[in-house]
Amino acid sequence: MTDTRATQRIVTRPGAGNTPRPAGRRAHRFDVVAAWGMLTPAVVMFLTFVIVPALVGIGLSFTEWDFFRPPVFVGFDNYTRLVSDPDVWQALGVTIQYVVLGVIPTVLIGFMMAVLINANMPGVPVLRVLYFVPVVLSVAVSAVLWSFMYDPRQGPIAALFRVVDVPPVDFLNSEVLALPSLVLMMIWLALPIVIIFYLAGLQRVPEDIYSAAALDGAGTWRMLWSMTWPNVMPTTLVVVVLQIINFVANSLDVALIMTGGGPLGATRSLSLYAYEQAFMSQNVGYASALSIFQLLLIVGIIALGRVLGSRSFR
Amino acid sequence: MTMRYGRYTTIVVFGLIIAFPLLYLLSGSLMSFQEISQYPPKLVPSELIWQNYADAWEYLTPRTVLNTFIFVISVLVLQLAICLPAGFALAKIPIRGTGLLLAMFIIPIFLPANLTLIPTFIVTLELGLVGSFAGLILPVVGHASLGILLFRQFFATFPGGLIEAARLDGAGWFRTFFSIALPLAKPVIASYSVVTFLTAWNMYIWPLVAAPGPDTRVLTLALAPLAQGDFSNISPAVSFAAAVVAMIPVLLVFVLFQRWFTRGIVGSGLE
Repeated sequence: MTDTRATQRIVTRPGAGNTPRPAGRRAHRFDVVAAWGMLTPAVVMFLTFVIVPALVGIGLSFTEWDFFRPPVFVGFDNYTRLVSDPDVWQALGVTIQYVVLGVIPTVLIGFMMAVLINANMPGVPVLRVLYFVPVVLSVAVSAVLWSFMYDPRQGPIAALFRVVDVPPVDFLNSEVLALPSLVLMMIWLALPIVIIFYLAGLQRVPEDIYSAAALDGAGTWRMLWSMTWPNVMPTTLVVVVLQIINFVANSLDVALIMTGGGPLGATRSLSLYAYEQAFMSQNVGYASALSIFQLLLIVGIIALGRVLGSRSFR
Repeated sequence: MTMRYGRYTTIVVFGLIIAFPLLYLLSGSLMSFQEISQYPPKLVPSELIWQNYADAWEYLTPRTVLNTFIFVISVLVLQLAICLPAGFALAKIPIRGTGLLLAMFIIPIFLPANLTLIPTFIVTLELGLVGSFAGLILPVVGHASLGILLFRQFFATFPGGLIEAARLDGAGWFRTFFSIALPLAKPVIASYSVVTFLTAWNMYIWPLVAAPGPDTRVLTLALAPLAQGDFSNISPAVSFAAAVVAMIPVLLVFVLFQRWFTRGIVGSGLE
């Protein structure tokens, strides 16, 4: 009875094909045991530190909690408070600025630089290392470095301003310039990875389309925009998604270290606001609601991107 | 020919612009206090002040450096230990439910880490691990999506005949994994290790909330205050030297394993 069922299962199992199974019915059970033996550590760690926290976060967003006393259920209060909190809207605007000011230049400059150093000329592989330099720097190290670069009295950027006869300002304490200054550093930090992606993407562009275009008399710029750029579109899509995530994620570390979110909240993104609510004001429930709100926004953007993306490809 | 020189010049000029902040960091780390604070800024120190590095070492403390190595190496080893077998099982052992598991592992890749920060902290707190090495390390290990998917991708493109042959010879799945799959996976292990080392070494927020105490404090936590205009008691040159000290291991890893790094980055792009 059991034997027949097991045999049937093996025969009808997709992928089993005609390969004879030496151990007969035991093979299948052994497959399951071995697979779960190998999967269990990863699944347990993943459930404990990713899935359970996600569920706990959703649950806590409906409560008021200060880390110490037991959480109090408050229904949708945190969410209604969030909608009428002017700081949330400011932080949302700041988050959008981080992403828009950061991602577009990073992708375009990264593409141009990859094209530039994707050359089969002697010495270029060595020179490429210059372009990869920022990749080894952490936000903490670059923060030390760039805080001094932006110093209005002694920093090199202030010196550049003086050369063109513009009085330098205190970049990181200016409500207008603080955010672009942080974004400039973040672009610089992100460029090597984008360049590496495009270098890989460029290798897959077939050489012969260029010779054909050259015969037709296309110039360098023409070829770049009407041949190279469309041909690396798959790479661009990957890079854009990764960089949106990167600028959203890094906005927390960078602003926390360099400006503390200031001046007057000008560099405080949604994630920094949630961080402050959780770890400085001990409003864990409200902070959880802020995280969920941000999550919904990102899921919405990705869904929108997929809809628009699939439309433009058809 | 002229076009060639033009291209070389452009490559060098842009390369120097990108590398300038780092060169400035190295050069500033060797300047005296007077030199680094003078206007107009000097780019090359007139005399090399190595004392800055001794001061920086004292500021960072050997304990912090050791903590950082404990953190980074534990994360790396544990991630490999859970991700490699999981990736192999997902790719090669035909059982039900792998599709569902894969879908589960893919989701977090599209979520910025700071979204999961607060909930992860709460679970770590409830487990009583905040402030300990376990609390610092295990949650980072748990965010293992990238490793699992990268290794699954690698093992999926694996010559299937080899595995079949080993299985027909009577080797169990574990034996097949250890003696056939693992040795052939060396390149992808190298790539993943380099990327993970750099990522863990540079982490800031998680160590800040999970284990900021002096016994578990890592380098990035010691560095951050130097960026907040806290130049009053410490010469900027010493701050620069501290930044360089914190950067040397990553720089070494990157220079030695640049090829693997490139592959690891592109491989993790889920192409």
